[in-house]
Amino acid sequence: MKLLRRLFFSASSIAIFLIIWHILAWLDNQSRPVVIVYPLDVFENLFNSFLEPDFRGFLIQEEIYSSLKRLFFGFVLALAIALPLGLLMGYSSIAMSSTKPIVEILRPIPPLAWVPVFLALFGNSFGPVMIVFIGIFFPVLLGVIFGVRNVPPELVDASKTLGARPMKIFSKVIFPSTVPYLMNGIYIGLGVGWMCIVAAEMLGVIGGGLGYRLIESATTGRYDSMYACIIMLGILGFLTTELARISSIKVREWMGMGQE
Amino acid sequence: MDGHGAGIELRDLTKIFRKDWREVVAVESLTFRVEPEEFVCMLGPSGCGKTTVLRMVAGLERPTRGSVFIDQKEVNSPSPEVGMVFQEFALFPWRTVRKNIAFGLEIKKVPPEKISLLTSEYVQLVGLEGFEDAHPKELSGGMKQRVGIARALANDPRVLLMDEPFGSIDAQTRNLMQRELLRIWESARKTVLFVTHSVDEAVFLADRIVVLTARPAKVREVIDVPIPRPRDRTSPEFIGIRVKVLEELQEEFEKTGVLERQAVAKAGSG
Ligand SMILES: Nc1ncnc2c1ncn2[C@@H]1O[C@H](COP(=O)(O)OP(=O)(O)O)[C@@H](O)[C@H]1O
Ligand SMILES: [Mg+2]
Repeated sequence: MKLLRRLFFSASSIAIFLIIWHILAWLDNQSRPVVIVYPLDVFENLFNSFLEPDFRGFLIQEEIYSSLKRLFFGFVLALAIALPLGLLMGYSSIAMSSTKPIVEILRPIPPLAWVPVFLALFGNSFGPVMIVFIGIFFPVLLGVIFGVRNVPPELVDASKTLGARPMKIFSKVIFPSTVPYLMNGIYIGLGVGWMCIVAAEMLGVIGGGLGYRLIESATTGRYDSMYACIIMLGILGFLTTELARISSIKVREWMGMGQE
Repeated sequence: MDGHGAGIELRDLTKIFRKDWREVVAVESLTFRVEPEEFVCMLGPSGCGKTTVLRMVAGLERPTRGSVFIDQKEVNSPSPEVGMVFQEFALFPWRTVRKNIAFGLEIKKVPPEKISLLTSEYVQLVGLEGFEDAHPKELSGGMKQRVGIARALANDPRVLLMDEPFGSIDAQTRNLMQRELLRIWESARKTVLFVTHSVDEAVFLADRIVVLTARPAKVREVIDVPIPRPRDRTSPEFIGIRVKVLEELQEEFEKTGVLERQAVAKAGSG
C-alpha cells in the first residue's frame, strides 16, 4: 500500500517533469536555433545509441565502460592510499600532526582545479583517473580519521582487560569500529568522483567516455545525443551512489551497528 | 575454570585528576586487601571514585600515588589475569554474543574448536542459549550484562572486577542475576571486587563490605558479613547488617547533599 503510493508519486513527478520539458521544447522549437530537444527524440537517441555507433563510430556502452573503468581505478587507488593513511593519522598523533597541515591545505581545493595539472602531469589517459582519485580520496580519508577518533574508549579498555596489545587493539577494535565511517566516506566520495570523471573527460581524454561524448555532441550541434549523455550520466550517477549507500547500510546491519 | 583467585592489595592508592585549572581528588590514600577467592563489595555514594578505583586495579588508569598489588605483583598495565565487567557493558557491537565471549580466547590464540566449545559453555553458564548469534543491540540490558560477565569469565581471569553490573537492570532480573553470580563465583573460585551503590546488593553478595567516604574515596568502614549463603533478605541478621551499613553510608550521603539522600532511600530499598 505504502509502496504503491510512493510509486504513484514518483511516477507522477517524472511525468510532470517530462510534460514541462516537452512544453519548453515546443516553445524553443518556434524559432531557430533549437537548443531544447523534445524528450521523445532524446530517448529515441539514447535507445539507438546502444545499437548504432555515433558519428565518431562509438556505441554508448563503450563510452560507459570507459567512464566506469576510470571511476573504478580512481576509486581503488584512493581507497588503497586513504584507508591506511587515515588509520595512521587517526591513531598516531605524530602522524596526525605531521600530515594534517598538508591535508588541510589540499582538502578545500576543488578537485576540478587539479584537472589541468593532472592532464599535464599524467597525460590524457591516466590524468582523468587521478582526478577521480583526488575527488574520492579526501572524503574517504576524513571518514576514516573521524572513525578512528570516534572509537568508543570503553571498547579499547575492554579489549585491554581481555589481553589485547596495541596490534590486536588496532585490528580487532579500532579497524572494525571505523568501517561504518569508511563506508560513509566511500558513499560521499563516489558522488564527488562521478562529477570529477565527467569534467575530466570533457576537458581532454584519450579513449572516449561519456563526458567526452557529451562535449563532442554539443560542439557538433547534436543536441539529442548531448541530452542522451546527460540522462545516462544521471542514471549511472544515481546507480553508483545508491549502490554505495545500500552497501553501507548492509554492512552496518551485518555488523550489528544499526543505522545512523 | 582453573585460574584460582589471586589476592588484591591496595596500598595508599591515590588518584588526582587535573582538568584545566582544577584538581579533582577522586581517590585518596585508599588501603585495603581482598583475600584470594574472597567476594568484596565496595559501597559508596555515586561520584565518590569507585570506578576510578576499579580502573586502577585493572591497570587502565595509573595511580597518582600508591599502588595496587595482585598476588604481591605491582599492577602496571592491564592483564588478562584481571577481568573487568563494565558498568556500561562495553560490548563490541559488531560481534555476536558468541564472538564477544570469544574475544579474549582469540587473543590468546586458543584453537578455534576449543573456542567454540568454551563459548558454548559460557553461553550456557549465563543462560543465553538461543542468542549466540545475536548482536548486542538486539539484547536487553540484563542480557548484555550477562554477555559482559561471560566474556570476562571465559578469559579465565584470577580476579574479576565488576562495576555496578546490575545497576541498569530491573529489580526482578537483578535478584536472579545476583544468585547466578554467586553460583558462578562459587564454582569458578575467582576473587571478586564488586562495586555497587545498593546496600541490599552488597549485604546479599559480599564476604566483606568496604564502605567508602564521599569523594575523595577513603575507607570509612569495613564490615564483615558472616551470614551463610544462600542468604535470606528477611532474616534478622541480614536486616541487622543492612541497617549498620546504611547508617555508615547515610552520613556520607549527607555530605554529598540533598539530592543524594533520595539515592540513599533507593539504595536502602533496592
Ligand atoms: N578521566 C577523568 N578525568 C577527570 N575527572 C574524572 C575522570 N574520571 C573520573 N573523574 C572524576 O572523578 C570522580 C569519581 O568518579 P568515578 O570514579 O566515576 O565515581 P563513581 O564510580 O564512584 O561514581 C568524579 O568526580 C569524576 O568526575
Ligand atoms: Mg562509577
